[in-house]
Amino acid sequence: MQHPFQCIASVQLPGQATGEEYLAAACGPRLMLVNAGKGIVAARWSTSPTNATSEDKYDEAEAGERPAKKQKTSNAASHAPNIIKLTVSPNQQYIVAVTDDKFIHVLEIVGHGELKELSQRCMPKRPCAIQVLPDNATIICGDKFGDVYSLPLLPSEVAPIQDVEPGAEDGEAAKQEDPAFKPSATVLTVHSKRNRMALEAQMQQKNFTAKKEPLKFEHKLLLGHVSMLTDVIYATREVEGKQRGHIITADRDEHIRISRAPPQSHIIEGYCLGHTEFVSKLCLIPGTDLLVSGGGDSWLGVWDWPTFKLRRKFDIRDAVLDVVEEVAQRADMDTTEAIKQADKSVVVSGLWTAPFTNAKGKQEIALLVACERRPSLFIVPVSRLMLKKDQKTTQSRIDYPVLDVACVGDRLIVSVDGRRDGSPCLRVAQLHQAEETKGEVLSEKDEEMEAKLQCLMTSSKDIPADDKALDDLLYGVGNLRKRRGWDAPGDGAGGTEVDPTSMPMDPNHTEVVEVEDDLTVRKL
Amino acid sequence: MAGPPNKRQKREEKHEGQMPQKKFYRQRAHANPFSDHDLTYPEHPSAMRWSEHYPHFVATIPAAVPKDDPIATRDYNEYYVARMEKRVEVADIGCGFGGLLFALAPRMPATLILGLEIRTSVAEFVQDKAKALRLQQQQQPPASAGAETPPVPGGYENVSCIRANTMKFLPNFFAKAQLTKIFLCFPDPHFKARKHKARIVSATLNSEYAFVLAPGGMVYTITDVEDLHVWMVEHLAAHPSFARVAEGEAEGDECVAVMRRETEEGKKVERNGGRKFVAVFRRLEDPAWP
Ligand SMILES: C[S@@+](CC[C@H](N)C(=O)[O-])C[C@H]1O[C@@H](n2cnc3c(N)ncnc32)[C@H](O)[C@@H]1O
Repeated sequence: MQHPFQCIASVQLPGQATGEEYLAAACGPRLMLVNAGKGIVAARWSTSPTNATSEDKYDEAEAGERPAKKQKTSNAASHAPNIIKLTVSPNQQYIVAVTDDKFIHVLEIVGHGELKELSQRCMPKRPCAIQVLPDNATIICGDKFGDVYSLPLLPSEVAPIQDVEPGAEDGEAAKQEDPAFKPSATVLTVHSKRNRMALEAQMQQKNFTAKKEPLKFEHKLLLGHVSMLTDVIYATREVEGKQRGHIITADRDEHIRISRAPPQSHIIEGYCLGHTEFVSKLCLIPGTDLLVSGGGDSWLGVWDWPTFKLRRKFDIRDAVLDVVEEVAQRADMDTTEAIKQADKSVVVSGLWTAPFTNAKGKQEIALLVACERRPSLFIVPVSRLMLKKDQKTTQSRIDYPVLDVACVGDRLIVSVDGRRDGSPCLRVAQLHQAEETKGEVLSEKDEEMEAKLQCLMTSSKDIPADDKALDDLLYGVGNLRKRRGWDAPGDGAGGTEVDPTSMPMDPNHTEVVEVEDDLTVRKL
Repeated sequence: MAGPPNKRQKREEKHEGQMPQKKFYRQRAHANPFSDHDLTYPEHPSAMRWSEHYPHFVATIPAAVPKDDPIATRDYNEYYVARMEKRVEVADIGCGFGGLLFALAPRMPATLILGLEIRTSVAEFVQDKAKALRLQQQQQPPASAGAETPPVPGGYENVSCIRANTMKFLPNFFAKAQLTKIFLCFPDPHFKARKHKARIVSATLNSEYAFVLAPGGMVYTITDVEDLHVWMVEHLAAHPSFARVAEGEAEGDECVAVMRRETEEGKKVERNGGRKFVAVFRRLEDPAWP
């Protein structure tokens, strides 16, 4: 079985000739840099197997009162952590990779596309989005606990450990963990058994290596939601001749928040509200004030983000159901049933923009949309996003689910989950618009480049892949959906204190996904 | 669903206008602010049906509106949200059984006051109590006819409560700069270090309070746990959107006296001879963009 490429990103090396475009591709724990024009893998880098025990220890102490969870994490054998996010600095000199053991790795691209790891830093919670700011010196990183941090791209040698809070930008560090707080827990009544166990765990919390300890490096807490963050983007806008920076954050509780960029990231400018299900992806449309959002709703939000106004709900339900119907037909399945199931679960897992040449020969931009597990890429010219009534998307049918997209030169590279039958996991296409298609954007296969990218498959044949692990790695977005219509366990109980983890569950909801204390999605 | 059926039944047995009894509304003390409760909240503040909470403050549609005017016909639309004369300006976050709310209401009869409480049955108690108090006021003979107690200004029409997890959904209920006062009275302390994010005051949540508060608006805090007081002062004072109000000035604020005296927790602490720590903060203007 072929391990698909979970993240890809285009890289432009200095002085690179046309036809010499580079692509960074993550395959499990391995990162490869390929010269897409020549079909040569220029560099490879791999995460090293972590000492899973020390990692777990941290989680244990932190999770304290939840012994059930401990057992789960310690089962995770000490294999190399997978790469879950990939981004390239605007100056194309650095690649930042996030791994599923919560580490941020900064790699420098040296010489003719070699990779040199400069640093690895452990975050307190699993990062969900990462970006290098236009200054090429700052990383912003949002995590599943709802917080957004900034850290220097290149860590300084002296390591100030103090936490710096939102707004305290002048370096006057406010303490985050008040040391005076601990004794009070013993003075005052600590009621439940759970609380007592947590206290004990806290006492034993000393013995892990400094390296694994998160945040022992320069960082600032910029802002936070009390929710799982799903996407974070940095956006600039010119006002009165000056560039204003913003941080746009999206969460599992349907919110899109617009804050000022540091040093004023404590100021919330507004919210783009209107989604009724989780938001999983944000995408700015270049050259406009439009922001597109997608998630568990069957429409994309088209926002005028400087005024926080929802301009349009762009329906994608029909487009998605068309794909579902076709897939069911091909598999000789009950199409009515398949559509019924899919109708309740549109999950937008990817939004990108890509340039194309329109029918009049002018450069335009298309929005690309991927839905989790659906074998199609939906294409909308952005000029159509605002056309009243028009909901048309062009489908680029691909026989496998789309995982990631990157623009390399004028080519579109689409990473697909072709784990099964050895067909190419990286597809290459060129977008164009023909007169006779009435504005639809079509994609045309580029077989030549596709063949060249096969070298990546050859270089990753040895990476082990099994269905369960791949599904967990590639298809997490759908789990963000809330199960509604029932009270959270332990919440409806009367005056007695009940351990919510031991509450009997409604038998109709055996697979309830609840977000617990530490905001991990857990199957009960 | 909230509360076991027997309690619910007992609650429903009471007559209209009869005061609700707390014992039928008790609920375990801690609700997890991070979990997905079966909460209802508007997708946007403009979609909130405040008319159900403050029927006396619904804006009346002028009689002269022609039949084909959208505002006349929208009444039949299920999505229609009645326009209000006033917006909520005072929020009591984690209001519990609402002692502070009912004490504040007659003191500011023209201001809409809202309690927000995460525990279903506790929020229901406050709602039921508001309804009962309103009815009592309406049924009171006018003072001239020899009423025993004088009528209460505002007749409790300006106070209500919603069930909400304020740590997640404050911006769903309130628009930017809508509020003039926020009360944070005797919040749950969450002693454990890893639970500090569960505290109702934190560096990042303070930005949300700043967002819904108008410049010049106030945050009132009170607790009997000294360490929590220190924590709240440290985090609110360190936040660039807030400045602590000098103690002398704070003590002169009637709201502070009411908050000390009328909250359920405040009374409990009083009975046990405990100390109460108060701190008040003012929302500053946002600075210019850099
Ligand atoms: C100790 S009680 C104080 C009640 C009241 N303010 C008083 O002073 O008597 C704290 C209250 O905050 C509520 N609470 C805790 N977290 C909350 C949240 N995230 N949103 C709304 N209410 C919350 C609790 O359910 C509880 O009723």
